[in-house]
Amino acid sequence: MSAERPSERYSRQAMFWAIGPAGQERLRTGSAAVIGCGALGSATVELLARSGVGRITVVDRDFVELSNLQRQVLFDEADAAAGVPKAIAAAQAVKRINSEVAVQPLVADVTPDNVEHIVSEVDVVLDGTDNFETRYLVNDACVKLGVPWIYGGAIGATGMSMTIRPGESPCFRCMFPVSPEPGTMATCDTAGVLASTVVAVAAIQWTEAVKILVGDREHLNPGLVGFDLWSNDHLVTKSSRAPECPCCVQKRFEYLEAQVTSRAASLCGRNAIQVSPGHDLKLDLAAMGRRLASVGPVTSSDFLVRFTVGKHELTIFADGRAIVKGTSDKSVARTLYARYVGT
Amino acid sequence: MIYLDNAATSFPKPPAVAEAISTFLATGAGNPGRSGHRLALAAQRAVSETRRLLASCFGVADPARVAFALNATEALNQALWGLLRPGDRVVTTSIEHNAVARPLNALADRGVAVARVPCGPDGALDLDDLARALEAGPTRLVAMTHASNVSGTVLPARDAARLAHDHGALFLLDAAQTAGVLPIDVREMGLDLLAFPGHKGLLGPTGTGGLYVAPHVRLAPMRQGGTGTRSEEERQPEHMPEALESGTVNTVGIAGLGAALRYLMERGVVNVAAHEAALTARLLAGLKEIPGLRIHGTADHRRQVASVSITLEGWEPVDMGAVLDSSFGIAVRPGLHCAPAAHRTLGTYPQGTVRLSPGCFTSDEDVDRTLAALRGLAGAGN
Repeated sequence: MSAERPSERYSRQAMFWAIGPAGQERLRTGSAAVIGCGALGSATVELLARSGVGRITVVDRDFVELSNLQRQVLFDEADAAAGVPKAIAAAQAVKRINSEVAVQPLVADVTPDNVEHIVSEVDVVLDGTDNFETRYLVNDACVKLGVPWIYGGAIGATGMSMTIRPGESPCFRCMFPVSPEPGTMATCDTAGVLASTVVAVAAIQWTEAVKILVGDREHLNPGLVGFDLWSNDHLVTKSSRAPECPCCVQKRFEYLEAQVTSRAASLCGRNAIQVSPGHDLKLDLAAMGRRLASVGPVTSSDFLVRFTVGKHELTIFADGRAIVKGTSDKSVARTLYARYVGT
Repeated sequence: MIYLDNAATSFPKPPAVAEAISTFLATGAGNPGRSGHRLALAAQRAVSETRRLLASCFGVADPARVAFALNATEALNQALWGLLRPGDRVVTTSIEHNAVARPLNALADRGVAVARVPCGPDGALDLDDLARALEAGPTRLVAMTHASNVSGTVLPARDAARLAHDHGALFLLDAAQTAGVLPIDVREMGLDLLAFPGHKGLLGPTGTGGLYVAPHVRLAPMRQGGTGTRSEEERQPEHMPEALESGTVNTVGIAGLGAALRYLMERGVVNVAAHEAALTARLLAGLKEIPGLRIHGTADHRRQVASVSITLEGWEPVDMGAVLDSSFGIAVRPGLHCAPAAHRTLGTYPQGTVRLSPGCFTSDEDVDRTLAALRGLAGAGN
């Protein structure tokens, strides 16, 4: 394979005017990290692998389950039956799709301790997470280290994406200065999600990543893209950097310094973890109970909302904390919190 | 917030503690005993003064017999590992905190015989049971808590020490829950070793505590190193407190502890004890009126310190603790309290209890509001 003559494999892509043989070679020598390998992550990982991006890091701490298969395109029934970690299953799938790609799976929570290392090793980062807190953390690390990243989110038929070029475009915190309060936002696990929404967001994210990797900054998406596939809305919100942005203007990396992140603590003598939001808040327990009623049977009182997911029981309290019983693994508890309470 | 977790660490601290720490850091934070300059002397003075205050607090004639430690756990480890050798026998109780239970389990693996005297379901120790355990074989040490950190039950330390001595054993008291809360006098009570935290009843900052070692007891130091004295000697000095204080001590915390002790002495340990006994009586009386609520312990304020363990029908302790905090702003500690053996004794293993521990700054109103909250939870079980 030379830069002049990409292999037959990529000929249709290299034929595209903005890529060409040189662009294809840049993809081959380029690298990307996909943080979170659920629906969105597995779609972008597949596109990156098929298009010949040379090195791909896949980060996820979760395991494949049957309910993932409707939209998480890299996984199959055997992965779910064996409960393979998503990062490992994704790496195995990538090797089957394109043996030329070096894929590095990382079975881990993304935390202030490891995020800088993860993003520093790649040319571009693609968001496949399911919560705001991790996105703020990725945003902090990418802005600090000058690594571009592409936000993506999908709930129901609604999708969103935004390309963040540190120092040039607004960062994620310019656009979303504060995290929505836990329990106030729908999540895929309370409102559902269409596979088509995910694929549409992944398509935007992959295209933006490829623009960055081939060096075409001119055509990058200039703002926040939002659409609703069901009601046919489509809009692009252009905005400028927030003059007071704590992250990209003031360079205070509050999530990286773990000042505002939620806290998980194991409870003395119990197979249980308490997850607390990083700040004071008052949760509407009644509304929380109604939202979770779509998931399964919910017990509600003036003091708490309780429901069971598989072998875990979640009890949510008025200050936004939750006690997750049935695990002593903090990352399992945090994942369940993000899914059902939401951050 | 109503803070009922004083058995874990006291809060708030007297304002003088923060002031003393701040002043010390700004003006006196040299290395004590390492040099003759102004800052080294200032630090030396702060450490010596706190040591003298501790000695006077516990009836110790020679302050040098008190060595500083990070906390009661470190002091207990120093006492147990420093004294016991393979072949020794130690008698302890079934209500101990892990700070005593775990080192003894580790020592048992190394050939120390450990006999555990069972306490009653209210946490009380029967002295006849202790006497029988002592008669069962020659014993090097009796190691026990002064009061259960779960139920608050006070053990008969003075009588137990006398029994230990009658059988040729030394006596180690874990005063984690009682230092600063009950009067303790090492001579009058016959204590050979006394381990205490600085950050609970003594109202000092965390990272402080100490170990009193009677003049006739020699401990092998857990650590060897610089002591600032007798640097020419190749071996660890044997004189107290340097024998047990290698490396720079927590001068900042110790300066804070000194201010806490001055506050405590001014207010009077006896008065603090009376205040906490009144709070405990008020709390227990109110708890007894709540349907479905069980008190795990003596339920008698004259037989315990201000640490009350409860369970409530229909509530898991862990959820009850979270509701008290999230809906009522009351800070308690649910669970096993680092004392699984104590919970087995009380019959509350493995689910544990909710522990309410008022302190010297808790008011009657705090207790009443807590009782009102618990009344609200009773019957709202889930």
